[in-house]
Amino acid sequence: MKKRKDPFMVAGLIYLGLLLIFAIVWPMLRYHYDQSVGRPFEPPNGKFWLGTDELGRDVLVRVAYGARVSLFVGFVVQAISLTLGVLVGVLGIYSKKWIATPLMRFTDGMFAFPDILLAILIIAIWKAGVIPVIVALAVTAWPAYARLVYTQVATLKDREFAVAAKAAGGSTFYVVTRHILPQLWLILFAVSMVEIAATILAESTLSFLGIGVQPPMPSWGIMIEVARENMNSHPELLLPPCIALSVTIFALNFAGDGLRAYFDPKTR
Amino acid sequence: MRLARAVGFRLLYGLLSLIFITFVTFVANEAAPADPAVIFAGEKASLADVQLIRHRMGLDRPWYVRYGESLWKDAHLDFGNSYYGTQEPVGEILKRDVPLTLRVSLLAILLASAIGIFLGTLAAVYENRFVDRSVLTLSTLGVTLPNFVLAPLLVYVFALRLNYLPQNWEVTRVAPDFFYLLLPVVILAARPMAMLTRLTRASMVDTMRQEFVRMAIAKGVPTFRVIVRHSLRNAILPVITSIGTSFGYLLTGSFVIETIFTLPGIGRETIEAIQARDYPIVQACILVTGMMFVILNMLVDMILPILDPRIREAQV
Repeated sequence: MKKRKDPFMVAGLIYLGLLLIFAIVWPMLRYHYDQSVGRPFEPPNGKFWLGTDELGRDVLVRVAYGARVSLFVGFVVQAISLTLGVLVGVLGIYSKKWIATPLMRFTDGMFAFPDILLAILIIAIWKAGVIPVIVALAVTAWPAYARLVYTQVATLKDREFAVAAKAAGGSTFYVVTRHILPQLWLILFAVSMVEIAATILAESTLSFLGIGVQPPMPSWGIMIEVARENMNSHPELLLPPCIALSVTIFALNFAGDGLRAYFDPKTR
Repeated sequence: MRLARAVGFRLLYGLLSLIFITFVTFVANEAAPADPAVIFAGEKASLADVQLIRHRMGLDRPWYVRYGESLWKDAHLDFGNSYYGTQEPVGEILKRDVPLTLRVSLLAILLASAIGIFLGTLAAVYENRFVDRSVLTLSTLGVTLPNFVLAPLLVYVFALRLNYLPQNWEVTRVAPDFFYLLLPVVILAARPMAMLTRLTRASMVDTMRQEFVRMAIAKGVPTFRVIVRHSLRNAILPVITSIGTSFGYLLTGSFVIETIFTLPGIGRETIEAIQARDYPIVQACILVTGMMFVILNMLVDMILPILDPRIREAQV
């Protein structure tokens, strides 16, 4: 029986596709994000579809660049922490006990520390900027993957197919990379969508607080902070970055949760 | 006796978490690109003076000695002095900042728990009906809307447009604190409230399908009593565990909320100290915030065996 696709999931995926194209293409078509191209606080018009900000910069172009920054940080952070998480999770099962036990205890220890505190600590002793944000968020994001991979591999490694592959003379490396991990890619893909949402939220939170992405690079968090300062005179500038950020986080959550249910063999 | 052992283990685990946090902040402070000896010696000090001050501050001893000493000092709430300005002791700064942050977060967690458990129960009782659907939609919004999106929108409506509430915390407050804290607490509570609502609903739906509930209905127990005494009492345990976890979200939120509403709490202090590169303050703030998180989680976990005889029996 073919499973019905969740409409929210489809809508989320379509939105994310469009956002990706917009983030890549739009800045190529329009001028630089940091130039004053009009008068300050122009209302939306034919030239500037979303108007201009306090320095006369095109809001739509800045939203597009903000999307670039957010998506880039989200993808890179999750790629790093996914790799680390898979590595730690598999090592936690297959390596010698004197490696595995401290490794998993350390992973548990990471949960004792609220994520954002550790990220803030890393940025505090390093500096604010894109690279420190990526490193700080990757350092805080991998334990979740490690735990997921650990529990999944623990149950999969004793199933018949894995035991058979081992009995047929496959090395541990072969069994893990060819027989066990391929079972996990789909679920990890779905989980990483939700995790990207968390990363984008964390990035814009840090940028909002002034310790994340630094101007002149635009970020939705910075745009919200600056718009908030001008809220008494021009509250309408709050809308573009707020809507872009909220809808993106919505879409990633719906797409991730939907895909997770869709890939789950139990409900298929 | 079993209870005492369970509590003992939880205390031990909490203590280990605390030591882990002190170690992480100690390492971070070691890695920080600032030499306290140079800073306290002043700009005109010679190299020999700096060496002398380094020796006097004990910074030339091996790291494990200094880590031990820092543990000792942390335990006595001695966090050194601020690098800049009047070089105020960090302990004094914390004494000033922590009460407000605690007040706001505890109010927020109380609000979130009360409303979250109430709405979740309501949604479960009216499963798949209009009430349930609207509660679910609302809680999805609450989970995904970032607090720094929610805050400006609510400030715009209630402070700027309607002029019901003040926009910022002020030193000379004209209205009772309630009015100044209402928006921060509500915004801070939004996300944990939504998470607790979802969790209560899921847990209640599961519990109410079980046989003892059907039995209670069948033997004619009043509906309200079935919901509260028979179902909620069983369903609430995972919710209570996650109240502790959601305190982590509250701490994250307090950085944002205190910045937005200019509340003089520990979150705003941390951000300002990071921008000023005042490392002792940063270290102490992160340490104290992390400790509050661990201790609150520990307290919440210790409530569980008191509430639930099954856990009390199982934890040997």
